[in-house]
Amino acid sequence: MLASARTGASLALRARPAAQLLPFRAAAASISSSSRKDAASPHGGAVLPHGGYGLAKRERKEVPLPSQEGTKGLVQYALTTLDIITNWARQSSLWPMTFGLACCAVEMMHLSTPRYDQDRLGIIFRASPRQSDVMIVAGTLTNKMAPALRQVYDQMPEPRWVISMGSCANGGGYYHYSYSVVRGCDRIVPVDVYVPGCPPTSEALMYGIFQLQRKMRNTKITRMWYRK
Amino acid sequence: MSTISRTLSNLRKIGIKEYWHQLNYIGDTKAGTLVGVDKFGNKFYENNTDELPLRTRWVDYAQHDFDAGHIEPLWRSWISYTIDTPPTLDPIVQATGDRPWAPKTHVPNQTFTRAAFKTYNTTKPKMESWKPFAAPK
Repeated sequence: MLASARTGASLALRARPAAQLLPFRAAAASISSSSRKDAASPHGGAVLPHGGYGLAKRERKEVPLPSQEGTKGLVQYALTTLDIITNWARQSSLWPMTFGLACCAVEMMHLSTPRYDQDRLGIIFRASPRQSDVMIVAGTLTNKMAPALRQVYDQMPEPRWVISMGSCANGGGYYHYSYSVVRGCDRIVPVDVYVPGCPPTSEALMYGIFQLQRKMRNTKITRMWYRK
Repeated sequence: MSTISRTLSNLRKIGIKEYWHQLNYIGDTKAGTLVGVDKFGNKFYENNTDELPLRTRWVDYAQHDFDAGHIEPLWRSWISYTIDTPPTLDPIVQATGDRPWAPKTHVPNQTFTRAAFKTYNTTKPKMESWKPFAAPK
């Protein structure tokens, strides 16, 4: 009942008729259904094989351009403002979970010292994953530490972000060919920002945090919810 | 670091319009001399007498969604106190000449734009994915 009311209201508030959006939806639906059928047919749909190395095998995905996304009505205007407020609150109180594993953690600690002064950005290190928004993976992630990293990530409440700091966390780095090191923490958790360096300076980490704040600023939270 | 008297005295120097602009971008009220403008239109200021150490140089970015990567490389070394005088006058910069190793135009950081770097692989994969197969009973 709620869903029908919402669509009715959205149709009423749209400046242009919704029929113009239909081609995109139809195209997206046909693509997704066909891909599902192809993937599911040989094996009964139970297990999807891990495919797609390289450029040639990748499946083409049709996404409407931002200019084709349709008209901006009254609801979108209100939701944009709501998104701005939410994103402002998110990006100005960023509480990181400090996952300091190696020497990168020293540079992460320097970020909290008076020269770089993370407190002026609203960044307070938390010891508990249940109170934190962003996890800074600083240092070499070993095989033995990987389950703990995943568990801590799973304990963090949504919305959550991950910053991978340093070469070792980005892709194994110096220990890439070691038998006991995970080749990049993005094999364990989804990463938002990669900060390169060995170790990155505190300035570089702060620049990465600024990039993450930019990502938060451009997140369409309620607008994406409304599009559904 | 701001007292009411400092804010008011700087406000008198820079005017109400610049005060509002600085409040929206720097979050502070600062008065200084305009040292130079780089190719992208970022304005660089300096005040060595009234400001605390490491707060004596600051930049007014040209873009609204600003980023430290928008600063030109030589101006970046000025604003992070690597060189003492602005790059148009600095003897070290003059001695290096026209810097033939450096790119001609500075490209700012493209992260989270359409031009962002995406990894790709052009070689044949060394591993094959496991295709699950159930033998008929």
